[in-house]
Amino acid sequence: MPLPKFDYIRPRTMKKLVSALAEHKADAKIIAGGTDLVVLLRDKIVRPNYVIDVKGVRELHKLSWNKKLGLTIGAAVTLNELLDSDIVKQKFGVLWKAASTLADPTIRNRATLVGNICNASPAADTAPALLVLDAKVEVVGKKGKRTVAIKDFFRGVKKTALKPGEFVRAVKVPNPPEGARGDYLKWGRTAGEDLSVVGVAALADSSEKLVRVALSSVAPTPLLVPDIEGAFRDGGSLDEKIEKAVSIVQSKICPISDVRCCKEYRLYMAGVLTSRVLKQLLGVVDVKA
Amino acid sequence: MSRHKISLTVNGQRYDVEVEANRTLLQLIREDLEMTGTKCACERGDCGLCTVLLDGVPTKSCLVLAVEVDGHEVTTVEGIAKGEELNAVQQAFIKHGAVQCGFCTPAFIIAATALLKRNPHPREDDIKEAMGGILCRCTGYRQIIDAILDASKR
Repeated sequence: MPLPKFDYIRPRTMKKLVSALAEHKADAKIIAGGTDLVVLLRDKIVRPNYVIDVKGVRELHKLSWNKKLGLTIGAAVTLNELLDSDIVKQKFGVLWKAASTLADPTIRNRATLVGNICNASPAADTAPALLVLDAKVEVVGKKGKRTVAIKDFFRGVKKTALKPGEFVRAVKVPNPPEGARGDYLKWGRTAGEDLSVVGVAALADSSEKLVRVALSSVAPTPLLVPDIEGAFRDGGSLDEKIEKAVSIVQSKICPISDVRCCKEYRLYMAGVLTSRVLKQLLGVVDVKA
Repeated sequence: MSRHKISLTVNGQRYDVEVEANRTLLQLIREDLEMTGTKCACERGDCGLCTVLLDGVPTKSCLVLAVEVDGHEVTTVEGIAKGEELNAVQQAFIKHGAVQCGFCTPAFIIAATALLKRNPHPREDDIKEAMGGILCRCTGYRQIIDAILDASKR
């Protein structure tokens, strides 16, 4: 079946990209990897008259790291480019792991991290990792640039903080605090490609002063659970503190039943995975949960 | 709808074609260039049967617009053999009976050839991971994995 009709525009400079998007606004959709957009076009879930390709703008292909500023991931950087980066693997382990679970390696040759967050699926695998890393989203429009914290970027199922005519130029990820380690555990129906039943990202240091947990597929948006550290402030054994953290997580999420599983199973598995990832990061040997 | 003049290289030969914006790379290959080795099945990126190499990298051609490949290089299953001489992966697929209905075979040949170029001595896990984006509905995965392991030893 042919795709519905649209015009294709491939600006070669940021300036032209900004003005093309400012001209067509909600009548345009951005294409980067196309792995979400082409399916949405085919299903007529989105019906733009213009498809604007960001890959013609050279600076959007930039993946860079700086000791002070951290990681910058341009809008056209693919997930496999991210996975090929030693810096990402060594310093941003939770993001590396999350990217490695997204879809399959052929899709990752094309799909981009920025596309993953702009698609704003509740199941977006890179989102929980970006949430615990406190990433910043660089938004550009005709009126200039603004920065949105990743936790304010997701506004609902498939909804973001982007206004018509705006696009994401890059995602900036600050260096994690010294000593902090992270991981992303994805629970799915198969070992191969599938959206998650539940995904849990965590970033923690062994002093337990920094503990962050974020989840996918348990709420209308990927969710950073507020004040998980509260579970670690009072005394008690590590197991007891982690039990408290699990209760906090389960009280803040609102999973639904869908084709993958029922909400009760999601609620339960969110607890299991939270416990498992925290035990792993905080140094408990027995990780069987 | 916008029309675009593009030039691309497919299996070493340059093509100058005009495409409409909504044409996919898969349609361009199968319908315009009449190379039907690349298969069309789910058209939504799930099954991977339309996998081709785009600048040497396995890519699901149903999710790529033809206009996006202007200036790029595509390899389809028709471009894998050297004349009559099949490549190591193709020979191993025959030897191991890794072809059942055959519909997924071009995609596996493409993805396995790219894997062995990047990683000449993959472990079984590497093969499973790299083939993760392609489905065989006859479920003949064992023979496919054996064939790729064998090809890596040639």
